[in-house]
Amino acid sequence: MNSLWLIIRNDWRESVRSPIWHRRAVINALMVLMFVYLAANFLALGMVMDNILMAIPMDEVTYKSHGISWVLQRLNRLLLYYIMLDFTVRYFMQKLPALSIRPLLHLPIKRSQLANFMLVKSIWNPFNLFHFLLFIPFTIEVFSNLPFASALGWSASFFLLIYTNNFLLLLVKRTSEINSGIYIGLLVVVFAIFILGWFDIVDFMALSGRLFDILFQHPWTAAIPLIFISITYYSNFRFLRANMYLQRLSKFRESKVTYVGNGILSRFGMVGKLTELEFKLIWRNKRPKSVLLITILFLGYGLLAFTTNDFVDMKWIYLLFSLIITGMFIMNYGQYLLGWEGSHFDHVLTRNVSFEEYYMSKFTLFTLVSLAAMICSIPYVYFGYEVLLTIFCVFLFNIGINTFVVMFFGSFNPKKIDLTKGTVMNMQGVGAAQFILVIPVMGLPVLFYMLGSFLWGDQVGILLVGAIGVLGLAGTRFWISLLAKWLHNQRYEIAEDFRKG
Amino acid sequence: MKLLRILEKDDMEISISNLKKIYGDYAAADLALLTIPSGESFGLVGNNGAGKTTLFRCVLDLIEPDEGLVTIGDTSTSGNDSWKHFTGSFLDEGFLIGHLLPEEYFNFIASIHGITKTDLQAKLDEFEHLFNGEILGGKKLIRDLSKGNQKKVGIAASLVFDPKVLVLDEPFANLDPSTQIRLKELLRNLKDDHGVTMLISSHDLSHVTEVCERVVLLEKGKIINDIRTSDGTLEELENYFASV
Repeated sequence: MNSLWLIIRNDWRESVRSPIWHRRAVINALMVLMFVYLAANFLALGMVMDNILMAIPMDEVTYKSHGISWVLQRLNRLLLYYIMLDFTVRYFMQKLPALSIRPLLHLPIKRSQLANFMLVKSIWNPFNLFHFLLFIPFTIEVFSNLPFASALGWSASFFLLIYTNNFLLLLVKRTSEINSGIYIGLLVVVFAIFILGWFDIVDFMALSGRLFDILFQHPWTAAIPLIFISITYYSNFRFLRANMYLQRLSKFRESKVTYVGNGILSRFGMVGKLTELEFKLIWRNKRPKSVLLITILFLGYGLLAFTTNDFVDMKWIYLLFSLIITGMFIMNYGQYLLGWEGSHFDHVLTRNVSFEEYYMSKFTLFTLVSLAAMICSIPYVYFGYEVLLTIFCVFLFNIGINTFVVMFFGSFNPKKIDLTKGTVMNMQGVGAAQFILVIPVMGLPVLFYMLGSFLWGDQVGILLVGAIGVLGLAGTRFWISLLAKWLHNQRYEIAEDFRKG
Repeated sequence: MKLLRILEKDDMEISISNLKKIYGDYAAADLALLTIPSGESFGLVGNNGAGKTTLFRCVLDLIEPDEGLVTIGDTSTSGNDSWKHFTGSFLDEGFLIGHLLPEEYFNFIASIHGITKTDLQAKLDEFEHLFNGEILGGKKLIRDLSKGNQKKVGIAASLVFDPKVLVLDEPFANLDPSTQIRLKELLRNLKDDHGVTMLISSHDLSHVTEVCERVVLLEKGKIINDIRTSDGTLEELENYFASV
């Protein structure tokens, strides 16, 4: 009993005393607000669920089910999908609970107790709790209208299956860290389900309806989900107990080395060397790499706007879409500009590289990526040369003005980013600057466009945006020297912040 | 005239004057005047919190002193980049780029100092006995190396461009005994054959007395004792630390 108390206290202290918790009160408040907002949404959705269910177009059932309300039958036909969706969302979003057991391992605490604690703790994960918010209103309705035993069997089965998902996911994530074959197995399963559904080999809706109707009609069948959850829990337990000393694996797994652009950019002087170094940073770390992948994904963003005629009267919207296409990387990567290098900032300050060269390399990086996005967007000419002209002028604005605006924001009170951490729900590095950033970056070009089009027409508005960009480019040296001066004045404060973490 | 300039340039005297850094009511650095002549191997000892790292960071312009000035070869290290061309330094992991391979890191440092690949290779060969086969040719990123090996990378990187001034914080900590011995040898050579001005701190009194010709004892940011190393120095230091 004593040692359990020790585990709980250690875990509690770890979360309460985490420096992130203390240092960024505003961000935390925002996170709490967002959490409450989401929770309220789920609860509201749960309250109107029966109305929604009745509104979904669905074929009449071809089999007889007795004693079940029509709403519940409809829900039952969707539950299998719901559970599969839940697993998918969890797979991408839910993280393994990080209990730092290392300091406890050498103490006389039973390993099974640690394993149990880690598993039980996951019950309180928000990914589980949101389901309650969504389903409790409906469950109450089921209880009040239908036989108690059936209602109990059905609702227990449902929540047990949700928790089976939870433990199954933990198991998959844990084992796949040791054995990457799990990923392939998972892919095969997903692919199989997709094929079965796509070619109507299995009617998942009917299957789902059948299964959950049975769970309702025969409450004792709730024992089956109970067996599922027991199996997944016990497998986790066994795995954890056996691999407790391997827990370092999630934290200290060695990174794979990937090579990029060896020496090509290095030939272009100091700035080239620094740019190449930064490409290595991006390519070898999860979070910056995902920024790059998102950039590629958003190349297609224009399709949303250019394929409809909805915005013909609001041409400035095309401008916003174009801003994203060539500016995604600048905004997304640049907002944390110095933070990316927070863990080796003392190196940045003591090496024989001037701050001008440093910022010039950042500018080069942005220009190169933006240029690549511009070239990839040339096919948009299919939607008219005007579209391409817009993208091109906005591209000029992005590299001529936005690069410098973003670099300034990214150098303003930056927060260190731990490159070894993943991407999902990672708010590290987010500060006020990141929220305000979007106002000038998106607002200024629209303002210039509106001014131009109001005075001389749409075409001129677009060209004005491009011209402003060229003007900005002409002042590159000047902007860079301003930024370098800023960094020179702020270097002690920034370095001090980074050292604190 | 030209000769004079070269002479001037090679004068790597480090001068710390009136340096004060106060955190709250605690002085991390409080030095009236400390001059380290060009070519001296200078050791710094003191208990935890004595202000060694603070002093080093002030020298390298990483923190802003409340008062005072640090100059290397007559130019202030604050607001001036020229010293970075000839000063090698390694204080902690903040000087290492974790997502690079050791070779890539050395390559980068060498290339920004305009050192050719062949010269770099020659340098790395020199360090091979220090690396003990664990650094080069591996597939491990710097951040995945052990603390001791990270230290080796940091020290080597501070040396690949033949610095005239060298600043190392606790270079012997975390190193295995063989490497400690080899590093001492290397540092002595740097002083004797290349006249490198060295600033080294250590918790290990015997290491510092073996390598440094002068040892300064720091406590609460102040200089307590300034000793020319002799046979009795180690004992003198041990007596001091035993009585604190």
